[in-house]
Amino acid sequence: MSGTDMALEEQRRLRVRRSALVWALIAAAFYIGFIVLTLVRGAK
Amino acid sequence: MAEVLTHAEHDDHDHKPHGWRRWVYATNHKDIGTMYLIFACTMFFIGGGAAMLIRLELFKPGLQFFDPQFFNSLTTMHALIMIFGAVMPGWTGLANWMIPMQVGAPDMALPRLNNLSFWILPFAFTLLIASFFVPGGAPAGGWTMYPPLILQTGAAFPMLIFSIHLMGASSILGAINIIVTIMNMRAPALSLLRLPLFVWTWLITAYLLIAVMPVLAGAVTMLLTDHFFGTTFFTAAGGGDPVMFQHIFWFFGHPEVYILILPAFGIVSEVIPTFSRKPLFGYEAMVYATASIAFLSFIVWAHHMFTVGMPLAAQLFFMLSTMLIAVPTGVKVFNWTTTMWKGSLSFEPPMLFALAFLFLFTIGGFSGLMLAIVPADYQYQDTYFVVAHFHYVLVPGAIFGMMAGVYYWLPKWTGHMYDMKLAKWHFWLSTIFVNVLFFPQHFLGLAGMPRRIPDYAVQFTDWNMVSSIGGFAFGLAQLLFPYIIWKCVRGGERIGNRAWEGAHGLEWELPSPPPYHSWTTPPSDAVIARGAEH
Repeated sequence: MSGTDMALEEQRRLRVRRSALVWALIAAAFYIGFIVLTLVRGAK
Repeated sequence: MAEVLTHAEHDDHDHKPHGWRRWVYATNHKDIGTMYLIFACTMFFIGGGAAMLIRLELFKPGLQFFDPQFFNSLTTMHALIMIFGAVMPGWTGLANWMIPMQVGAPDMALPRLNNLSFWILPFAFTLLIASFFVPGGAPAGGWTMYPPLILQTGAAFPMLIFSIHLMGASSILGAINIIVTIMNMRAPALSLLRLPLFVWTWLITAYLLIAVMPVLAGAVTMLLTDHFFGTTFFTAAGGGDPVMFQHIFWFFGHPEVYILILPAFGIVSEVIPTFSRKPLFGYEAMVYATASIAFLSFIVWAHHMFTVGMPLAAQLFFMLSTMLIAVPTGVKVFNWTTTMWKGSLSFEPPMLFALAFLFLFTIGGFSGLMLAIVPADYQYQDTYFVVAHFHYVLVPGAIFGMMAGVYYWLPKWTGHMYDMKLAKWHFWLSTIFVNVLFFPQHFLGLAGMPRRIPDYAVQFTDWNMVSSIGGFAFGLAQLLFPYIIWKCVRGGERIGNRAWEGAHGLEWELPSPPPYHSWTTPPSDAVIARGAEH
């Protein structure tokens, strides 16, 4: 792998990590948020 | 002197573990795809076994073999296993195999997460199926789990809820992986509007999964707290509302229908151009139609529950929004037909399954339109007409779409052509008997036979017998499918990179079978231009 290729690969890794994290946060917020919301409402 | 190779130079560069470790610790997209497909096929036969028992009981009026409670467990488990165990993992298996190859990536973006997504499933389904053996038996309240009936489930209740949470978590993790792969791992020159339709439909499906699986998780958690922790979300006596569950469930449930069918649209959009030897007609319209269907799927949920009683304005809204789905779906059917127009058609098994999909899914679509009409739905609600409708959508729709995909890409996966004659036998037997199985159920429903019952009035006997005979023959015909695959894996006529003369797409630029890591370097612009002719 040339230096440019490795730099591109590193950039791609960062992008993958960042977008995986964003989607995981969105999914977790939906998943846990919906359950917590219902339980809080149920406790009233 | 022995030649010393550096890490990047040595020959196979696959670091493939061997034995059981290859599968338990799998991070390779093809290995995980294979496990998903084997799992889905196993669940298809378990769920199909339940369907055979249902048809056996319904062969004649009167109680023949099972008590009503067990019969209802069979219908409930058949649906749960087929939807969450066969169709959804089947699509994820195809996505795992094909998406990296079709977007020019070496693997999925998150291989360890991919492993986790798969290995959750065997635990989830062992738990679910084990519920047959606990006091009170397996859940029998229907896959829709409506309270208050579902709250009467015995020891199986927490098993049901936990297994649904596990399935939901697996689906969401898989969806995240697919979105991240498509958005970040595709070859630099492969713009979004050059992606194959299978990739597009899966991208939209993944967004749907992330949006609606949490809703199901919330709904079943509320059931759990109603059952064990004294809440009364859905118990009228405590100020709750059982109908609220139906609203929440179907807010998940209707997009779920499109989660099951959109990848089939993608496959049919790949197969028809290949065997028509023409580019797909209206590629961009197909993408926008898929996105429109996904959007509309969020605003039609109450058409599943017109008879609970709702304001006239709500009935009109949900009726019209449901009918609106016919517009983008019609665009798709028109484009598939127009792709074939003046094409140089040939009828290999993938094309046969795609054509059967086109005709028979459309029948399911038309009966769906009938069900969308509020006053008509009052007559059809909870009859076998509904059963006929959604089985036309899901069997010759989703399952035939999946079979078209497997027969299309199997030569690529194995490097061998399968037994064409047997595959055609599989097609014709499936297509004839799927109609013998499900078409009479329209008549039964229109004549008033209710669904989810083990016994029925004698006037329904003839068509039930016909339907059961169709069911047994359809079930037997499916045994050909794993046999054809097994035979193909073991050997057969060698094929080159491009198994089908008219095939386009990056997957056909790779050798057959493809290397362990699909595209170790992104495909060049020239290869993409050659492969991305839609």
